[in-house]
Amino acid sequence: MTDSLAPVEESIAEVPPPSRGGGVVRYLLAKVGGAVMSVLMVVVLGFFLFRVMPGDPVSIMTRGRPVSGAQLEALRAQHGFDKPLLVQFWNYLVGLVHGDFGQSYAFNAPAGVIIGERLGPTLLLTGTATVLAAALGLWLGAKTGWHRNGPLDRGSSGVALVFWSIPPWWLGVVLLMIAGGVFPTGGMQSPDSPAAFFPHALDVAHHMVLPVFTLVLALYGQYQLVMRASLLEEMNSDYLTTARAKGLRDDLVRRRHALPNALLPTATLVFLHLGMVVSGAITVEAVYSWPGLGQLTAEALASKDLPLLQGIFIVLVIAVVVMNLFADLLLRVLDPRVRAS
Amino acid sequence: MTPVLELRDLRVTYAGGHAAVRGVDLTLLPGQTLGLAGESGCGKSSLAMSVLRLLPKDAQVSGEILLDGEDTRAMSWGRLRAVRWASASIVFQGAMHALNPVRRVGTQIAEPMRLHASLPEDQVEARVAQLLAQVELPPEKARAYPHELSGGQKQRVMIAMALACGPRLVIADEPTTALDVIVQAQVLALVTRLVAEQGIGLVMISHDLSVLGSVCERLAVMYEGQVVELGSAPTVVHDPQHAHTKALAAAFPTVGDPASRYAPATTNPAGVPPKVVPRAGEPLLRTQALRVDFRQRGGGWMRAVNDVSLEVGRGEIVALVGQSGSGKTTLARTVLGLQQPSGGQVLYDGRPLPRGSRGLREYRREAQLVLQDPTSALNPRHTVYEAVAEGLRIHRMPGDERELVAAALEAAELRPAGRYMPVLPHRLSGGQRQRVVIAGALALRPRLLVADEPVASLDASVRGEILALLLRLRAELGLAALVITHDLGLAWNIADRVAVMYRGELVEVGEVEQVLLAPRHEYTQSLLAALPEVAPVT
Repeated sequence: MTDSLAPVEESIAEVPPPSRGGGVVRYLLAKVGGAVMSVLMVVVLGFFLFRVMPGDPVSIMTRGRPVSGAQLEALRAQHGFDKPLLVQFWNYLVGLVHGDFGQSYAFNAPAGVIIGERLGPTLLLTGTATVLAAALGLWLGAKTGWHRNGPLDRGSSGVALVFWSIPPWWLGVVLLMIAGGVFPTGGMQSPDSPAAFFPHALDVAHHMVLPVFTLVLALYGQYQLVMRASLLEEMNSDYLTTARAKGLRDDLVRRRHALPNALLPTATLVFLHLGMVVSGAITVEAVYSWPGLGQLTAEALASKDLPLLQGIFIVLVIAVVVMNLFADLLLRVLDPRVRAS
Repeated sequence: MTPVLELRDLRVTYAGGHAAVRGVDLTLLPGQTLGLAGESGCGKSSLAMSVLRLLPKDAQVSGEILLDGEDTRAMSWGRLRAVRWASASIVFQGAMHALNPVRRVGTQIAEPMRLHASLPEDQVEARVAQLLAQVELPPEKARAYPHELSGGQKQRVMIAMALACGPRLVIADEPTTALDVIVQAQVLALVTRLVAEQGIGLVMISHDLSVLGSVCERLAVMYEGQVVELGSAPTVVHDPQHAHTKALAAAFPTVGDPASRYAPATTNPAGVPPKVVPRAGEPLLRTQALRVDFRQRGGGWMRAVNDVSLEVGRGEIVALVGQSGSGKTTLARTVLGLQQPSGGQVLYDGRPLPRGSRGLREYRREAQLVLQDPTSALNPRHTVYEAVAEGLRIHRMPGDERELVAAALEAAELRPAGRYMPVLPHRLSGGQRQRVVIAGALALRPRLLVADEPVASLDASVRGEILALLLRLRAELGLAALVITHDLGLAWNIADRVAVMYRGELVEVGEVEQVLLAPRHEYTQSLLAALPEVAPVT
């Protein structure tokens, strides 16, 4: 059977799939380039979107105060609103390149500086909450998916669904009523917060308990459900049967073979979501008067503070785009198949 | 001598009362090879999985499964885990999915050795290289991921993995089903050699009697959960006794056997039509010096189809054969206007293929595609009626929709049509699904069918029925067909002419008898030589 094959065997051997090409650098450049393009588009969109919103910025600035027409004209000239839209856009772009987001009307300070001050607390709050929620959600998802229809699955999957569907601010209000006496309910630190690092950190941590807990409850549910679903997808895979046939213990089959594959879609989701969490914490920050971007957004919206809103808009979008980029890069690390294509 | 495997009155029943295995007795002595044949659903895979207790929890197993004299049903979990892979290992069907996609194959081969501590850690790597050498793969493949290997290479990795702990029994479940003839021949030769060298007992499962017959000493034929025939391989293949074995043996024809020329095995009362001589004259479809290039990653071009000139006459069935990667599917896509050629042209009815979307739509009504896997070709949420009517609506066919659908279903021999219309695909058998796909094509009254491996995913008994249907459609409707396949038996069964494709080029075109019985090109010869052969009865 094989003898007659021998002479041409080499020439007709199967062609293996093309090896990984392109290289890491090229891939990185393409991805980063794409991300930069997205940010640019958003800058353009952001500028014109806020221009077509109803309401004259100058009359908002002077709201409630008696002003003459000449004063309004002067304000317009000062902020450049009298110039053609394209010129305004050009000035705006030039400003952005120099890190200048414009002057906030409400705070009467550079928007960039204000956003910078608020970015830290938001990152601290949402970062902590996301890490905890992801850890809890992925762990529960892996457990419940593996022991599908077990007691843990029946109980916790329902609970996860409930928490996921409750609006976070409502959850915040309820928690505030229940545990308001035990933990601080507003702000990031006490008025008399100690200056030394560790006591200060402890004070901040104390203030973080309730908002973080609220966010974790609001976030972990979908991580659990997605992890559970993607593990269930893998449950009937043939390679798990192979692993069992090799004599692996059940939890080794899960940890070594099922989880790495089930994590692929989930990890992407967690990172994608991370970008969104920054803006998603608006209502929770408002409930706990957390001095972060979310609260700032609410204030800027209320006072129609155009430069500030534009600035926040861009920062939030950059967060989403950057996390998206991270998700792509992470998937490339986790999944060898992505490296090849 | 203790048998490596002994089954006594083995029964497997799934939740819901479905009895997959109904009382099987089998014995395998060390170093013996046994082939287990049967169609899907006959219980052969359930039997294989029961040996190492790998069946789902809802399966009830009774009887005795003695592995080296020890009943696996009575083993503790710890003992069972120790026995798994160390005493008996499995080569799974479709190595594509049986390997973990995110781990390097070397790690996966080494995993059972590390687990069972059959070797000190510092020797594991050398042993992996040795195993890879045994399956004729270079040692650096240990660092590859499964997706970087071809189908045949993956199957070799599976075999290397199965041998890792030096088992006394290997169970191979359809080890070559997804592979090309030539790669199949290579893998079968490898299995035969390794099993003989190492004195391993082998149970090989397949739906293809000739594959089993070329490797195994004995054959057992399973039907509805029972062994209906057991004997030496040549006897079972050449002189089958049970009706079911006869059907299995007839399903895959011997190339060159005049009895099966234009006569696929069918039990349909309509039978096989008399041979129709295609009308001479201008061919229905003609490709002229067709070229298709693909841009490759990292620069450069890959020529998938090179200078192909092929004709399909009116009412003619042409088989396009070649192994995967030969460009036959690309050629089919180009013929259907789904892929733009880089050079040359496709002529239909004497005119070049239209380029505009409107003209292409009209053309695609006349040239219909039938895909390999009817399960994925049908939308699982569309009823049979919807599946057939969709094409009618897209092409705004005149006439009463219901009548047209009924006529198409009747033509594809789904009778009475009314009974099938409201049914969802998952309630149908594989053969019925493929008939629905064909009905969907027929509804548009095409003149040309392009069928890509139309029977590769179907059971042996259904295969003949679908092929006979194609012949009858040709006789009754004058339908021409371009059938893409790697199955030379299919060409022998129904085709008028064969075109052999190799590396993007047509290396041989001609009448079936001429090409398959007196091949001129070296590649055609090696294709024919790779067909599994069963020794004559001694």
